[in-house]
Amino acid sequence: MDLFYSDISKNQKVTWDNLLDELNNLSEYNPYCYHQDFYLVFKHIILSLLLEREIIMLDSDFSEDEIQKLTRSTQLARNNININKKNRPAINSKNDLIDTINKVGQNWTITLFTSGTTGLPKKVNHTFHSITRFVKISEKNKSSVWGFAYNPTHMAGIQVFFQALLNGNPIIRLFGLSKDQIFDSIEKFEITNISATPTFYRLLLPAQGNFKSVNRITSGGEKFDEKIAEQLKKIFLNAKFTNVYASTEAGTLFAANGNSFFIKPEMHSFVQIQENELIIHRSLLGQSEFSVSEWYHTGDMVKIVSENPLQFQFVSRKNEMINVGGYKVSPGEVEETIRNLEGIQDVRVFAKSNSVLGNIICCEVVKTSDEIDELSIRSFLQSKLQEYKIPRIIKFTNKISITRTGKIKRI
Amino acid sequence: MENLKTIINTVLRNRGKQEVTEINENSHLRNDIGFDSLDLAELTVRIEAEYDIDIFEDGIVNTVGEVMQKINNN
Repeated sequence: MDLFYSDISKNQKVTWDNLLDELNNLSEYNPYCYHQDFYLVFKHIILSLLLEREIIMLDSDFSEDEIQKLTRSTQLARNNININKKNRPAINSKNDLIDTINKVGQNWTITLFTSGTTGLPKKVNHTFHSITRFVKISEKNKSSVWGFAYNPTHMAGIQVFFQALLNGNPIIRLFGLSKDQIFDSIEKFEITNISATPTFYRLLLPAQGNFKSVNRITSGGEKFDEKIAEQLKKIFLNAKFTNVYASTEAGTLFAANGNSFFIKPEMHSFVQIQENELIIHRSLLGQSEFSVSEWYHTGDMVKIVSENPLQFQFVSRKNEMINVGGYKVSPGEVEETIRNLEGIQDVRVFAKSNSVLGNIICCEVVKTSDEIDELSIRSFLQSKLQEYKIPRIIKFTNKISITRTGKIKRI
Repeated sequence: MENLKTIINTVLRNRGKQEVTEINENSHLRNDIGFDSLDLAELTVRIEAEYDIDIFEDGIVNTVGEVMQKINNN
């Protein structure tokens, strides 16, 4: 059975033949892609490519209010278009489908919304070229099996989707599944590739087992954590680890081993670092509804590791920096430090507004040992962090809040 | 007053500072008790959690007496 997609939580299995059947028989098209089911999202994208029509990706958990604000459309269904099957040649095989998709013209665009952790989500358009910039098609990749661990309507998910689609690989849902379901899926389908946020991986741990099929673990979307990699290496013994830098605006740009991103010589003229912020040239971007000057401020704060060859490390998002009485605190740095304490499973650092200092640092902690209490955390931090970085309020909890794209919630 | 003393000592203990045994209305938060701005910030949060009032909302208060007044007026 040539599998296209599977979701173990719903007992759902779709073959390439099933997909082709459905594609050949669709008679309606709506540019707005708004589905709970990941398979429907994928089918919709493929259909938009075959019809060479614009597709607009909407999160399945957007409320009606949010959709109205974003699309200025009162009812999505009103945008349905009838399509004449006779004008389209039927696609008869998987290879036929992939070939046709690869030939899509310049007119096709996919519209994404940035995750909107700061204000209303921003609209970004991409062409086939910019959205598939980092896709690697090869004989070796033809036998990959992809664990899908991202939101399918956002950049990271769409990157994985195209990588799998253009190599004809099965896509197995992992996003939003329980730990058990995730490990079951990895074993059952002999998943070879997983790409996910550090938070996704962190929530899988601690774990036991030997998942030999996985040969590539990719991490993106948040600052990479060496500690997680160490623990993951114990259960994914055959995996190579890669770290990826991508944004909704630019698509995938750089890859790294560990934490340091290496800028290839041919990219040097398109990348700048100004006041510790990563700036990229407008030619690397998709089209945004806001006019962009020649250089785009990514909002990512970085640390230069070496000038020649140019290497940098991601420090934190600029807007995540918390201003405590004039001192800027990186919540990521504080989280990393707290995680180094024995008995801490996970932590989330965030700001609380305060009339004395503007903001104070707070955190919620998931602990694994009863020996951990506020005092033990504080005395540990005294020797590691400057005073203003140490959380003033520490709460213990069972679960850490995360965003709709699987990243730690900062605000 | 006792309750306030407990809160003050929690803040001091959290910073690894010496706790106070006696306080009175005239005790100055910074000069006598030894609070710096970080401590004051934590104090406001803890008092707000307990008494539902932001004692620094209208400006900085300096003594224990002034803090009590804000709490009692609420």
